[in-house]
Amino acid sequence: MKILLISLLLIFAPAIVTKAQDSRIQMSSLDHLVAKASQTIDVNIDERLIRISAKFLSNDDPDEKRVKELVNGIKGIYVKSFEFANDGEYSPADVESVRAQLRGPGWTRLVGVTSKKDGNLEVYLLLEGEKVGGMAVLHTDDRELTVVNIVGPVDLDKLAALDGHLGIPDLGIEKPKAKKDEQ
Amino acid sequence: MKTTRCKTFIAIVLFTFASTTVRAKDDDFKSVVKMIEDFYGVKHQGIPFLAKTGMKVATTAARIKGGQARRFAEAGSIKLAVFDDQDFDGDFTKFRTSLNGALNATWIPLIQTLSATTQDQNYVFLREAGDKFNVLVITITQRDATVVQVNLSRKNLALLLKDPEGTGKSITEEATIIDQE
Repeated sequence: MKILLISLLLIFAPAIVTKAQDSRIQMSSLDHLVAKASQTIDVNIDERLIRISAKFLSNDDPDEKRVKELVNGIKGIYVKSFEFANDGEYSPADVESVRAQLRGPGWTRLVGVTSKKDGNLEVYLLLEGEKVGGMAVLHTDDRELTVVNIVGPVDLDKLAALDGHLGIPDLGIEKPKAKKDEQ
Repeated sequence: MKTTRCKTFIAIVLFTFASTTVRAKDDDFKSVVKMIEDFYGVKHQGIPFLAKTGMKVATTAARIKGGQARRFAEAGSIKLAVFDDQDFDGDFTKFRTSLNGALNATWIPLIQTLSATTQDQNYVFLREAGDKFNVLVITITQRDATVVQVNLSRKNLALLLKDPEGTGKSITEEATIIDQE
């Protein structure tokens, strides 16, 4: 009986893990840019770290509470950001390696989210039914390429709150303005 | 009888494995220092050496080690290796790959900032150690490098998560900055 149970766990565990990691984007194709970039930022706040913060950070201390609230419910935050000294040091193929993943099932591009910064901002949500399973932000400029991937339930309010914190570069994210008749 | 032997064997294997893992974890600071020495062909200076040469860097480090003037590091928890005024010529992307390969199994690579222009490298690794947190901060520039490992409190863990890059720099500064007093 025990052997049967262990066998079932071994069979289904990888499937469960795969399901949970669907919103994790592969960014290793960008690693070659490290050798060219004048500034590279690589942030990995994985599930282990989020578990630690949930376990140890207190609600009594304002700093600890703020961080705890920011990561609450999230399963991972991953950032790769490159700044270059000259134009054209990264190729469209580099951006495409990320964008192609965001054309996969479940991913939807949010319209109307803009940035105070120059360049092009794209925000994508991974929808699992009515729930959000993750988010990806792609910011490109002539001399900058930034990819932010948040795994787990997240919304634009939380994204805006995370902007410039936890190692995420300040992307100047502005939410879509509500139309007057919707107010 | 067979079952008892089997259990004993498993216990020995588990104990041996656990001991090896703990030893490997404990040696990570030294391993990183050795890795820098081997990769770049440089030598680190210990605090006693720095003190003899009259470098002020040693004063602050020694004080923190003794429990004074600390902000981030818990008393007695600081491990520091300084590489002063030496050449750090080498492919930093290869060094980064080796470093991550050596540490990523037991440490979380919280943030890494690198520059191909200046060759500056900053790494902040974190791991849970019982009810404490170890932070390993590695900073390499063209002429200098520091490796600092400290224990963090919960409060400082929150600061580190909130601003990993800034707090990582502060930890290194705390361990090495010239004392103004």
